[in-house]
Amino acid sequence: MRFRHPRVAIAFAIAGAIQLVLSLPALAQTGADAMESRDSTRASFGLRAQAIGLATHVDPGPAERSYTEGYLAQPLIMAHGGVRHLQGVLTLDFEGLTLERGQLNMGAYGEGYADRRHPHTYLHEAMAVASGAFGRVGVSLAGGKGFVPFGTDDPMTRPFAAYPVNHHLAQILERYVAIAAVSAGPVTLEGAAFNGDEPTSPGAPPDASRFGDSWALRATVTPVSLVEIEGSFASVTSPEIASGGGRDQRKWSAGARLRQPLGRLSYALVEWARTDELVGDVKANQFTSFLAEGSTALARATVSARFENTTRPEEERLTDPFRYSRHPTDLSIIGITRWQIGTIAVSTPLPSRRMDIAPFVEVSYAHPTEELTPSAFVPQDFYGSTSIWSASVGLRLGIGSMVHRMGRYGAGVPNVRSVATAGGQHVH
Amino acid sequence: MAFRPRRFRGPLVTLSAAAVAACSSDSPTAVKPFTGPSLSIIGHGQTTVRYTAELWTRGNVAYTTTWGQRSPAAVGNAVYIWNIGGNTPTMADSLIVENATTLGDIQVSDDGALLVVATERDNGSIVIYDLTDPLKPSRVARYQTPNTTNGVHTAEVARVDGTLYAFLSIDPPDARLVIVDLSNPEDPREVMVRTMGNPFVHDVFVRDGLLFTALWNDGVTIWDVGGGSKGGTLADPVQIGNVRTAPWSPSVTGSEAHNVWWFHDAGGSADAKRFVFVGEEAPGTGGSVLNSSNGDIHVVDVSDMSAPREVAFYHVDGAGTHNFSVDEERGILYAAYYNAGVRAIDVRGDLSTCSGDQKAADGRCDLRKMGREVAAGLASAQTFIWGVHFDGSFVYASDMLSGIWKLAAASRPAP
Repeated sequence: MRFRHPRVAIAFAIAGAIQLVLSLPALAQTGADAMESRDSTRASFGLRAQAIGLATHVDPGPAERSYTEGYLAQPLIMAHGGVRHLQGVLTLDFEGLTLERGQLNMGAYGEGYADRRHPHTYLHEAMAVASGAFGRVGVSLAGGKGFVPFGTDDPMTRPFAAYPVNHHLAQILERYVAIAAVSAGPVTLEGAAFNGDEPTSPGAPPDASRFGDSWALRATVTPVSLVEIEGSFASVTSPEIASGGGRDQRKWSAGARLRQPLGRLSYALVEWARTDELVGDVKANQFTSFLAEGSTALARATVSARFENTTRPEEERLTDPFRYSRHPTDLSIIGITRWQIGTIAVSTPLPSRRMDIAPFVEVSYAHPTEELTPSAFVPQDFYGSTSIWSASVGLRLGIGSMVHRMGRYGAGVPNVRSVATAGGQHVH
Repeated sequence: MAFRPRRFRGPLVTLSAAAVAACSSDSPTAVKPFTGPSLSIIGHGQTTVRYTAELWTRGNVAYTTTWGQRSPAAVGNAVYIWNIGGNTPTMADSLIVENATTLGDIQVSDDGALLVVATERDNGSIVIYDLTDPLKPSRVARYQTPNTTNGVHTAEVARVDGTLYAFLSIDPPDARLVIVDLSNPEDPREVMVRTMGNPFVHDVFVRDGLLFTALWNDGVTIWDVGGGSKGGTLADPVQIGNVRTAPWSPSVTGSEAHNVWWFHDAGGSADAKRFVFVGEEAPGTGGSVLNSSNGDIHVVDVSDMSAPREVAFYHVDGAGTHNFSVDEERGILYAAYYNAGVRAIDVRGDLSTCSGDQKAADGRCDLRKMGREVAAGLASAQTFIWGVHFDGSFVYASDMLSGIWKLAAASRPAP
């Protein structure tokens, strides 16, 4: 069967995959259980599908007006399988079909979108991982398309529907990447080579000829089982101009993440990130972020709160005020805006035997101000106000088990005990 | 192990304080003041509705384009038409280009018949107007093809073998130069398209059948388009030579070649056609548009077109150059210098010969140390100068923040 349009083929693929997921929840659970048991002699397999249906209202947005829109966000199919020392990770993301115009998300930017979060690529992760151990030292090699070992966990895996402004400061993803990881006791070290170019569209692959022009290092320490601390650095070559020759980036990240419930606090993350944009070795601009977020159980609900203080580059908007040119030239940075955003989300899981269903409400207040004056982008003029409210209601849907920690591979998953016995393996 | 919150309080407070403190940004570098003569201000045509971009003048009329978005209702889709016959430029009329957000470049043809306006970032095109009434341009055509739609960053209008052409530098991806025949302005015709630039081609200069392309990181390339000896044509330019000008900072790797002017000194001398001026546009350190810039003016010796070489430069601390206009009768180059106003530089004579203490470490002559700074204008005002245009009598400067300035021309220094 031939499809005249790739979207038709992708829609068929989604339908088939959903059908597969619905028919295999038991297998998915079995696979997850198998992994939890860390039995190196058995094959493991896990599968999960999830999505967020939501409606969002923003007031005011670009062009001094309010917006109300609905989406299917983060439609994902995640698979994880392993046999002995080898594992595979696959995440398909269909936002290119459901979020082509982007998700209303004040402050979000990147890949040609501003104040809307851009869709991710269809092939979000496809990684092969080989793991092993030398005594108490776990090692792994991973390669494919996926996350670079830099920064904190992807916002997709965190408790908010709206992305933080700092996504492009605090994560590097959807690259051709080769990762070596070593884990010993509470310390995990990862190093990677990858291509610097950001995706140019949901269906566009990275430029394979640029593989290796960028690199990253991340150290993760779990001094106590309660807390995980990471520090990372990345050197990224011309991320915004895929053909090369654009500004380079030097990126730093430090974060602390709560790994186990602490009193009423079921989840917490504190992170700092900084990106310097360079022309040669001359720093042209610097962008920074501080973010703190956490969740707690309140009655049958999960209440999550986030505060973010991030600076964002501003580029000339196109005729669509949510878009800017994906291919910068000179005069591309027309201003820098500091976004201070507070967000509260309340979610209540509903009982269901076959699916995860969790309705939620999320409210944000944002206060954008120009960081430099004079500026060719003045939030007060562009939005008509520096007080911006956003509200979303929606439903998180999922089926199957979360089978891997998105963005970490093999020995790069911290504090998973390495198999100490000879002949054992390191599995996540 | 039971959790003891107090043990974590100190490090958490420290982490939070450090993170918040680290959220500040760098400040742009201050401009070093110019202490020489000033270019006298004659008048100021003020407009603050939109950001002003490039300008061109012909006779008693000036045209300025607009850029970016100053407010939701004031995007860069307007051309302002100014009467410049008096001391103070007065706005006579305006044009709005539909489906445009930035009109970067503008030029009047050498016969005064046509006005050509570039549009970017999306819906890239050129819009051609008839100037039978210079104060009331009438639209002739809008030329937009798949080869221009990424955005026309600059559009230079020049005559080659008697025919008028537009040279369009197209934004990436696949940055390219498009040459369009304007002999029938109602029906422009593409003559050539060629991918070039690293990562884009920014601007060109055309004179005597030679084409100079500013290829950003790759410097300037000289092409034979009919005036050289390589057999090149407009449909098939042939490369003659290339020069990678030295960046303003040794820490920068690319030339950031932005614009070009092949100087023909009307004063006549052995050096009359020897030098090409190249503008380098570099981002400011710690700033953005409207508050910082970097980049030098580079002097390239083209005595041997196949082996051009940089011999001199002009640098302003804390500021960078943008577009040029040259008074070829008097041998004075006027350069828009963004946050440093307008600089006037004596470019007559041999720019490649200087004393040891007038040379930079790499052997290039430093025009400032050679005493070739003639005057500066608008340097102390709250201005951000995009372009300059010398009309034979006065210097006009387009100020992104406030419109158009009319300045007195500089005098040549006494011999």
